[in-house]
Amino acid sequence: MRRALYAVPLLVALCGPWLASSGDVLHGVSYDPETGWLGTDFAGRDVWQQVLLGGRELVAVMVLATAGAYLIGVLWGLTAATARRRLADELLMRPLDLLPAVPSLFLLLLLATLFPGGGLVWIVMLVHLPDIARLVRAAALEAAHGPVVEALRLQGESWWRTTVRYVGGSVARTLAADAGTRLTGTLYLAAAASFLGVGVSPDAADWAVMIERNRAGLLLNPWAVLAPALMIIMLSVGLNLAFDRALRRP
Amino acid sequence: MRPAGYVRRRLLLAPVQVAAVASAVFLLAEVLPGDAAVVLAGDDPDPERIARIRESLGLDRPLLTRFAAWAGGLPRGDFGESLVSGRPVLGLVLDALGPTAVLASATLAVLVPLSVWAGVAAALREGGRFDRALTAVGVALYAVPEFALAVVLIVVFGGLLPVTALGGLTPAALVLPVAVLAARPLCSLSRLVRAGMIGALASGYAAQAVRLGVPERRVRYVHVLPNAVTPAVQQLARTVDWLLGGVVIAEAVFVIPGLGTLLVDAVADRDLPVLQGLAVLFAATTVLVNLAADLVAFRLAPRA
Repeated sequence: MRRALYAVPLLVALCGPWLASSGDVLHGVSYDPETGWLGTDFAGRDVWQQVLLGGRELVAVMVLATAGAYLIGVLWGLTAATARRRLADELLMRPLDLLPAVPSLFLLLLLATLFPGGGLVWIVMLVHLPDIARLVRAAALEAAHGPVVEALRLQGESWWRTTVRYVGGSVARTLAADAGTRLTGTLYLAAAASFLGVGVSPDAADWAVMIERNRAGLLLNPWAVLAPALMIIMLSVGLNLAFDRALRRP
Repeated sequence: MRPAGYVRRRLLLAPVQVAAVASAVFLLAEVLPGDAAVVLAGDDPDPERIARIRESLGLDRPLLTRFAAWAGGLPRGDFGESLVSGRPVLGLVLDALGPTAVLASATLAVLVPLSVWAGVAAALREGGRFDRALTAVGVALYAVPEFALAVVLIVVFGGLLPVTALGGLTPAALVLPVAVLAARPLCSLSRLVRAGMIGALASGYAAQAVRLGVPERRVRYVHVLPNAVTPAVQQLARTVDWLLGGVVIAEAVFVIPGLGTLLVDAVADRDLPVLQGLAVLFAATTVLVNLAADLVAFRLAPRA
């Protein structure tokens, strides 16, 4: 039951595009609750088909942006933590101190304005990057300046073995604890951005875009808004509950 | 650390942070292709016309001159003019500030007492039915994006309450936006108050106070509560950061002409002067709120 919360929207998102009738976009009457299973949307398209198509991009952005932010953020944080000169550490970390002074959704909108056409993945990734870099640096600092790293360096071990394998390994636990909230945080940002029309086309088959575009017909065909809203709510609540349980059972 | 020295250092650092954010936004906007003149020329991208607009806006002057002019205007409250309406940015921001301030203060007025009450009630009967319900609902509700919650609330309560602020920000029109904005922070704040309260109730000083015959209510609310809410105060500062973000969504859904709407419109029009002004305002607010939160936390539970 608990798993169904996130499994259903994930299945719809991943398998939906295969189940959707290919290329057969119905152009009927707008907000007609009688046509099809869930009625039609603002453009007269079948809502159920749009729901089937609308999750893939959101889930892809969530996964890719989280993975990308971790990849760069971990390397960034590890480089800063293992830097042997203090100046290098400062140069890497000081600029990131500015970012908490800006609310993340504002940062996202700002980046979208400055880089029009920049994909949502990159923008969401950039928003999460500083946080991860700072977390990794703080967690790695102790191991990075400990005797083991000294010894590994004296033995002439490679950068990969010293920095990534050993120091990186020491922060794995912290990262695992962070991963759950990070993934739901990415989903939240990606959905909010799509809702505001950032980085997506205005008639895209996307759950967040569907909610925004079909709001005008809320009274005529509420399912055009409720179906994608329930998908997003189930996915975020399900993932959050699952990660919360995983964290409490060490 | 002595409070006076700490306050002085933080007060000195705050303008530096704001100035750095302001410069970063200005310079980022400058180095990217497609300046304001190209945007203004719009459907008629004739190079001559663009050059003329550029000249009239002073965009042909060197970067440093323009930066100095812009930064020099800031202390006088001169943020430049909107590219779209030609109105001063300060006036636009001040007009939009009203509705957002009403929305944010109404949210905080609901959020703070409610989360302290819920957290304390859950902590006093730890493991009880209310405690378990609060934890479950908290984890679930925390993850729901504001816009998704908003449309569900509109479908459920749309017949009873106004769903837009077109008729003005009346108390009835504020109910749904405030509910949407308060939902996520309520979850995190009440959990923090609960955890802090449970820890403080089990501490030695609480037991000692009870042993000395201090009335239980006094122990709970005068001795334990101030210590318990300290982490929550710092989380509240981060909540204000969310509120600025959540406000963007809530204003878009409920048609409230506040800062969020101004921001979304400026993004759509690539109205950089407005964006720069908002960046300065948001950065200043965030820095000040964090400073205030640190000072309040310090005052509630003075530590080394």
